[in-house]
Amino acid sequence: MQEQAASRVLVCIQCGKCTGGCPESGRTPFNIRMLVRKRQFKYAIEEALPWYCTACNACTLRCPRDVKPSEIIIEIRSSMVEEGNIPVTIQKALESTFVQKNPWGKPRSKRGDWAEKLGFKVPHISETEHKRLLFSCCIHAYDPRCMVIPVNVATLLNKAGYEFGILGEEECCCGNEIRRIGEVGLFEELMEENIANFKEYGVQEIIALSPHCMNTMKNEYGDMGIKVVHYTEVLSDLIKEGALKTEKPLESGIIYHDPCFLGKQNKVFEPPREILKSLKNVNVHEFVRSRDISLCCEGGGGRMFFDVEVPYQRNGEIRVTDAQKAGADTIATACPFCLMNLEDPAKEKGIFVKDISEILMEVI
Amino acid sequence: MRIGIFICHCGHNIKSTVDIEGLKGYFKGLNNIACVEDYPFMCSEPGQALIKSSIERFGLGRVIIAACTKALHQDMFKNLVRDAGLNPFLLRRVSIREHCSWTGEDIEKNTSKAIRLIRAGIYSSAHYEPLEEKQVEVNKSALILGGGISGMSAAAFLARAGIEVYLVEKEKELGGHVRHLEDVWPVRERGKDIIERMTEELKTLNNVHIFTSSRLVSFGGSFGNYEAVIENSGGEIKVIVGGVIVAIGFTAFDPSIKPELQYGIDKRVITTLEFEEKMHELPIKEGSRVAILHCIGSRDEIIGRPYCSRICCINAIKTGEAIKNRFKDSYVESFYMDVRSHPRGGEEFYEDTQEKGLLFTRANISEIIPEQGGLVLRGEDTLLGMPFEREFDLVVLSIGMSPPKDNQEIAGLLKITLDKDRFFLEAHPKLRPYDTALKGIFIAGTCSGPKDMEESINHGRASAVKLYGLLNLGYAFIEPFVAYVDPKRCSGCRMCEQACVAKAIKFDEGLHIVRVEEAACMGCGLCNATCPSSAIALKGYKDTIIDDEISALTEAV
Repeated sequence: MQEQAASRVLVCIQCGKCTGGCPESGRTPFNIRMLVRKRQFKYAIEEALPWYCTACNACTLRCPRDVKPSEIIIEIRSSMVEEGNIPVTIQKALESTFVQKNPWGKPRSKRGDWAEKLGFKVPHISETEHKRLLFSCCIHAYDPRCMVIPVNVATLLNKAGYEFGILGEEECCCGNEIRRIGEVGLFEELMEENIANFKEYGVQEIIALSPHCMNTMKNEYGDMGIKVVHYTEVLSDLIKEGALKTEKPLESGIIYHDPCFLGKQNKVFEPPREILKSLKNVNVHEFVRSRDISLCCEGGGGRMFFDVEVPYQRNGEIRVTDAQKAGADTIATACPFCLMNLEDPAKEKGIFVKDISEILMEVI
Repeated sequence: MRIGIFICHCGHNIKSTVDIEGLKGYFKGLNNIACVEDYPFMCSEPGQALIKSSIERFGLGRVIIAACTKALHQDMFKNLVRDAGLNPFLLRRVSIREHCSWTGEDIEKNTSKAIRLIRAGIYSSAHYEPLEEKQVEVNKSALILGGGISGMSAAAFLARAGIEVYLVEKEKELGGHVRHLEDVWPVRERGKDIIERMTEELKTLNNVHIFTSSRLVSFGGSFGNYEAVIENSGGEIKVIVGGVIVAIGFTAFDPSIKPELQYGIDKRVITTLEFEEKMHELPIKEGSRVAILHCIGSRDEIIGRPYCSRICCINAIKTGEAIKNRFKDSYVESFYMDVRSHPRGGEEFYEDTQEKGLLFTRANISEIIPEQGGLVLRGEDTLLGMPFEREFDLVVLSIGMSPPKDNQEIAGLLKITLDKDRFFLEAHPKLRPYDTALKGIFIAGTCSGPKDMEESINHGRASAVKLYGLLNLGYAFIEPFVAYVDPKRCSGCRMCEQACVAKAIKFDEGLHIVRVEEAACMGCGLCNATCPSSAIALKGYKDTIIDDEISALTEAV
């Protein structure tokens, strides 16, 4: 994949479409077109620049020459990783992932602890009939704010009578962010460990809680012969079938924020919206910037593990202001990265940010 | 069998690096070799006389000319052999100049290679059979598919030259896209007026048969005698035509497949074609801000349209000019990757509109945010290195040309090929740009790739001239290298029938074997390669010929 990206550098015609769609351009010193130009001519690249990229992929999705600028960022970062010339917090995240299989360095043995909060026992994948695996993100497993999401989704699936299993402490980081940070070797290691587990337990379907995990397993793990879906796809089907009933009214104006890895990158636009539209007494609003032109929360591509030094208005703030303008009191999303990045500015403005699963828990 | 070998010195060209005497010595004593002659120039009159007299004197059954490549003097040598009373398909040319003497200085190696080459000629020619070129009659009539500007131009030329023309258009009226253009640059006329003039001209010619709201539904036969069935509300009409011109045009690119541009979602985003049609109804006034986006549906690999559509830069400039002419105080900005105003006068037109105040920014707009107050365009001024968000009241997308919608259907019916972009493929991009691989079937206009009006008209006329040249003879020779079937070996599996692009293979239900329609066969050999029982082969290119030739080349000298 890297070699392919390298060869495409040469065909860039510097049209600037990548910069135009970039969530970082204009307000930060980051200019993706210029980085590609510098890469074409092998000019030196200022070391802080590549770390602005949030891996939203708008550049690659729109590039008329299929240059794949986001892959070129990974290439630049890779050489920086190799030289050890990377921000300290990133370095730490990589080391932790190497040792504990999660970027925060929390003990691997506690990865499945969220399941203890359930009122029922979730079987290990090996004990299930249909071999449907609920795959949690490292954030879901260890972050106190997000740990409620796997609990919710498991509860909802259970309520709908939908059989599934988990891997518990055998699960390891999907590697989506690791690959985007540029540590391709570590990414491959994580991928191989996960695939070995999927194979051993005969996994038929993966229900990913995070769009980031879904993306890499669907598009970068190679052909595993396993169906990979996001949890909102499963839940929206269960609601449509009537297996999950959303009866309690919820007086609320909800606006849905498209996560980049779910929406523009994998074109899952409808299921989360269908879930929200099925709710009683809920006004569903839309951002002007929605679906393919949704504004990135700036959490991806390693941005979760460190912050750039230059002060500028964060996209999270813009998003919250836009949501208020649209008349919403709650921003709904379906990605732990978006949730974390939108929540701080939202608290200041006094509106809620909720995962789709949290909203569903309120109405069943 | 009596074989004569004629070795040419080609002055010093062959003689200086090949041992001619050695060659002669090698072949002289061999079985069946009646004579081995050499001469400084076999193509000269004395050289030709030597060959002719030797054929007569020795009663030769095969003639091997070891000289230059077959690409030179082949017709002359064939006629010479025919004059001497021998079937010209019993002649074998061996290239000992281009493929041997010119390739190196080593006389020993070259001589050894020349021996192998001549020997291969002898081995293969042993299997030759006398063949006859067949003559067929050609109908002086043509089918033109597509009544746009290109097809109409072709029809007018052919009809005036006395060819019976069947012009088939699927829409209600002739004229294609041009009919809908409000302002044709640089003549500044309405497209409708141009089309109506051309239609009037066609109507005065009584050998043009116009079929509107009609489609081609079946097609068969071979050059000179193609059979086409045209369908319309009146039923089916069968016509026999000598040749065909495909001029089915293009489909305008539909920008809704790029949702980030909001086309089809927000009414303030329109295409250049829509601008032409409702120029005077648009909600713009003095002071309005209009953006024009170049290269929409062109030069875009991600959506499978890597090519330049050639017309959209002029269309974009024309759009900007029209707005500036009407509203002097409007703000019109054109966003481009490169301005390719290549037709004659295009560059001057570009300059004139700049003088009128049309602004050009080198940026490829990435997304349009449909705010209530205005459309916010996000892009980067790549010359200043400045990302921007700019607000406009109207966005005009300068759309490119996509392949015609019916490309697959027509290609399938006619058995002609599409290129990688799904336009029709020409036989050779430089030397045969109007021809397809099938004799008498030509392509014209934008169905073979984006073209402007002038180019489409020229393309249509050029195809018409080429077709006229073939039809006017009234007859055609058919190469004798056609496929033939060994009925004993044929199992009737019909794989060759599927492989045949010329539709020359027919299945005999009674005998459960296939037959070849020699008039239709192009001699491509696909059937030969497909047949699992080696039951079908090309005359003159039998498997045994190739096998023996290879063994002759590889045998030790």
